[in-house]
Amino acid sequence: MVNGEQKTSLMKFLFITMIGLPLVLLGAEYETPKTWFGDPDLQGTWTNASLTTLERPDEYKSLIVNERDALIAKRMTKEFVDAQDNYLEPGETPKAGADVGGYNTAWMDFGTELFKINGDYRSSIITYPEDGKLPRRWIGWGKEAIAIARMFRQADHPELRSLGERCIVGFGSSGGPPMLNVLYNNNYQIVQSPGYVMIMVEMNHDARIIRLNSEFNPDNMRRWLGDSIGFWEGNTLVVKTKNHHPQQKFRAAIRHQILISEGAEITEKFTRVGKNEILYQFEVNDDEAYKDVWKGEMPLRASQEKIYEYACHEGNYAMANILAGARAEEEQ
Amino acid sequence: MRTLNTFIATFIFCFSSYGVSEEVPKGPNGKPDLNGVWQVLNTANYDLEAHPARAAMQLVEGPVVPVPHPDILALGAVGSVPAGLSAVVGGKIPYTKKALKQRDENKNNWLERDPEIKCYLPGVPRATYMPYPFQIFHSESSFFIAYEYAGATRNIYLKDPGEPPVDSWMGQSWGQWEEDSFVVETKGFNGQTWLDRSGNFHSDQLKVTEKYTLMNEHTMQYEATIEDSEIFTRPWTIQMMLYKKVGRDAELQQFKCVEFVEELIYGQWRAKD
Repeated sequence: MVNGEQKTSLMKFLFITMIGLPLVLLGAEYETPKTWFGDPDLQGTWTNASLTTLERPDEYKSLIVNERDALIAKRMTKEFVDAQDNYLEPGETPKAGADVGGYNTAWMDFGTELFKINGDYRSSIITYPEDGKLPRRWIGWGKEAIAIARMFRQADHPELRSLGERCIVGFGSSGGPPMLNVLYNNNYQIVQSPGYVMIMVEMNHDARIIRLNSEFNPDNMRRWLGDSIGFWEGNTLVVKTKNHHPQQKFRAAIRHQILISEGAEITEKFTRVGKNEILYQFEVNDDEAYKDVWKGEMPLRASQEKIYEYACHEGNYAMANILAGARAEEEQ
Repeated sequence: MRTLNTFIATFIFCFSSYGVSEEVPKGPNGKPDLNGVWQVLNTANYDLEAHPARAAMQLVEGPVVPVPHPDILALGAVGSVPAGLSAVVGGKIPYTKKALKQRDENKNNWLERDPEIKCYLPGVPRATYMPYPFQIFHSESSFFIAYEYAGATRNIYLKDPGEPPVDSWMGQSWGQWEEDSFVVETKGFNGQTWLDRSGNFHSDQLKVTEKYTLMNEHTMQYEATIEDSEIFTRPWTIQMMLYKKVGRDAELQQFKCVEFVEELIYGQWRAKD
């Protein structure tokens, strides 16, 4: 005999095995949580630190990387970190006049492995063009060459140095758009309020305030990180950005170098695909600097770490030393 | 009779606008909704204490009366200081004797010493009453303030994170609701920020307890209690109102002033043509 309680348990078991389990096995879509005002909830602290870079390194021939090559990349990184941090024997000191080096890896945050999307390791953030390389228009880049060279080699004026060194925005395109991973400070905090999505970029404590269902500001209002407006397409936040700052055209970091012209139009998509992951996708439309659009995607992974204050300008002894050093050299 | 009616109507209007709690918009978890772009309408950033209008922030001795320092003289009326009543409860900041002397020295050397001139991060509570708006992003899981000045930001933890692991310009903040007020405790300062343009200052022992109380849809009472036993003889409190921006004005603009001070800070090391 089966009593009422047993019957309920049996029904529950049948429901779970016949309906619930197959749904799990089929990878049922993640149910996006909602904010108190009903928008899909993207809030939290996220990181895009990864060994995967914007452009595909030549050693990889396809977007997807097999497990063996992904493990090799991971092991080589570990070996690099060990060599960088422990290049002296215990008790040994650097030789007089030798290069004492810069940061050790405690200051870096470039990830420990290639990122995965849908279970596959990726060789580049760029998904289009299919070769994983920027479709550079070399004439456009050639026009910028002098300014780019000056940025790295000359120290005549602070305005000629990179924006990262000037502590105006982070290195490269850390703050975006598109928001790309760099050597360190790859953290972002998202907070939402009715009508807004705010993304705080760790480097350089920049709050990207995305106005929802709004209009672009006048063309002469050229913000650092551009003017961003957004809207929801189902559970995906779509962000459109234009009116880029003229001084933010060349974005250089060790891990990527891109041009974003003042007239570029950039579309970003943020979709929460799990409790601990947002899929970040973007498309750059910039006729002046590129022969074609280029697209990319990467995961933003949840981080439990605190984001500390990035007070760069307040301690920017480097800029004074770069300029003063160059003047001293000229006098010799 | 008409005069009496006008008096009664005025009395009712005043009574309904002030002193009686109005219905305030509700936000996450049924608490008052503090979201929005806010700004003070006062002169506290010039001087927290009561101050008459004066010719400039930094004065030097003149033939008859003090005159503007030569480095700001060209600004004329634009560089002068508007008058304001004290934001300090009780009127005066209770400095120790030694600290008061330091404050006066700061004031006399404002051009060289005020961190605002170099576009340094403003610290707390000064960020609140600078002449720039700030935007509160307030949800059930986060409380974040983005300030227009210098692009300063402040994440306010909703659980006590323990002792600050490192000193910083904006300090480490955490907040909780005490009835309908959001109370924020901030410490872990590096002691390099000021409280206004008049040399009022603190040490790295500063602890600030702020209270944000929504009065109605468009106004919020702001209160900050300042404790720093190295500089002050007792805790003291400032009070002021915050006003919510509406319509097209309710958009935080960008004031990343770092680039504006490059000539001031690095100009001496430019290459000669």
